[in-house]
Amino acid sequence: MLGPLQPLVDMVTSPLFLMIVLFPGLTSIAIIGALLGWLERKVTARVQLRIGPLYASPAGGILQMFADLIKLSFKELFVPENSDAFFFIMAPTTGLVIGAALVGLIPFAPGLQIANIEVGLPAFLAIITLSPSLVLLAGWSANSKFPFIGGLRALFQQTAYEIPLWLSALGVIMMAGTLNLAQIVAAQSTGWFIIPQALGAFIFLVTSVAEMERLPFDLPEAESEIMMGWQAEYPGVLFLAAQGPGFVKLYAFSALFTTIYLGGFLGPSLLPPLFWMLSKTLVVIVLIMLLRSTFPRVRLDQLLRAGWTTLLTLAIVNIGITYLLVVGLPTF
Amino acid sequence: MVAQGIPEIGAYIGFLFVSTVALIIVLRLLITPRDPRPTPEKKKPFESGQIAVGPGRTRFIIQYYPYLLMFVVYDVIAMFLFAWGLNLRALGEAGSLPVLVFIIVLLIPLGYALHLANHRENW
Repeated sequence: MLGPLQPLVDMVTSPLFLMIVLFPGLTSIAIIGALLGWLERKVTARVQLRIGPLYASPAGGILQMFADLIKLSFKELFVPENSDAFFFIMAPTTGLVIGAALVGLIPFAPGLQIANIEVGLPAFLAIITLSPSLVLLAGWSANSKFPFIGGLRALFQQTAYEIPLWLSALGVIMMAGTLNLAQIVAAQSTGWFIIPQALGAFIFLVTSVAEMERLPFDLPEAESEIMMGWQAEYPGVLFLAAQGPGFVKLYAFSALFTTIYLGGFLGPSLLPPLFWMLSKTLVVIVLIMLLRSTFPRVRLDQLLRAGWTTLLTLAIVNIGITYLLVVGLPTF
Repeated sequence: MVAQGIPEIGAYIGFLFVSTVALIIVLRLLITPRDPRPTPEKKKPFESGQIAVGPGRTRFIIQYYPYLLMFVVYDVIAMFLFAWGLNLRALGEAGSLPVLVFIIVLLIPLGYALHLANHRENW
């Protein structure tokens, strides 16, 4: 019927292409990331008894981030002198790719998952491990003092949260007996893991907030101390590319938290699974945003000490509790 | 063809959105305003409004170095627990004692390393 264009039309309408381009892929990530920027401003404003964005649309400034996007993308693009231009531009754009890759691993509904791989949960945590290295690279390449300090802080911060993050995820793996995220959701059909894994969920939430570099753990970009840290030198559209991964990671981590602790897309069948998945994710996102607007920033030595003592001990205690729940008292 | 409830028109909308964004980026690079005569200060690194002093990539005190050393060791070791945790239901009690010994053997040097790390004069 369409002749030579038929293969192209087949590709554009294939399910995988739809998922990658539309949902849960690139288009939805861009739109949701921008909407989260608006939501964050509104939630913070509500907590601090302000109004927040108001004028950018009839519906309470919901288009504010899109207006910012247009403004930033039409600013002059220049690279500061003596900086390493390749790494300076490469680091934030690669950060965007990493954030989008995370969303591809999440099962949003039965079958609505871009990459259903056997090692979904470790793959998610392994991909996210790359992002502090990119922050360090961005800070180093800018040839400026504030970005350099911010990059080093990101490096130290990673050592504080990384091991408790992995060990708290181990509790879920022990309960489910699988690394596949879709099968972890299926294992929760008898009960959500947040009840037996309450301690693990708490550690996972705290460490994932530290991983996302959000308040109270936003040391690498601490606005009031080191002037946006590693993002200080980024102009216009590159600043957008440096800010974007933060919101994409917030979305991806909240979706992962929902998947492994809150039963993912499971819920009463009067509404579609996608609705349950997205509404639970939204609740987790708002919770993380409330942490941002209520807690002050910790110091780096406090974070390191808490990560290596309190969080690590609690993670090992959580493994012990999970062992008792799964196997029972050992007899040796 | 319908994929998981997404109608075919959705593919075209998504394709249109992505290509519009690409078009905007290309247009933006073509029509962007360029500063014909940038001042010398413009491309200097940011230093709170002052003239930048010294190089940006200076020698920097790695203040929490012991934690980095501990991380290099313990991040790898923590991965070994995953092989055990994944097969816990199949193993049952079989692997418990070695893993318990493993965790205890891990924690004793970790405690000593933390004790040393908290004393500034050691590093």
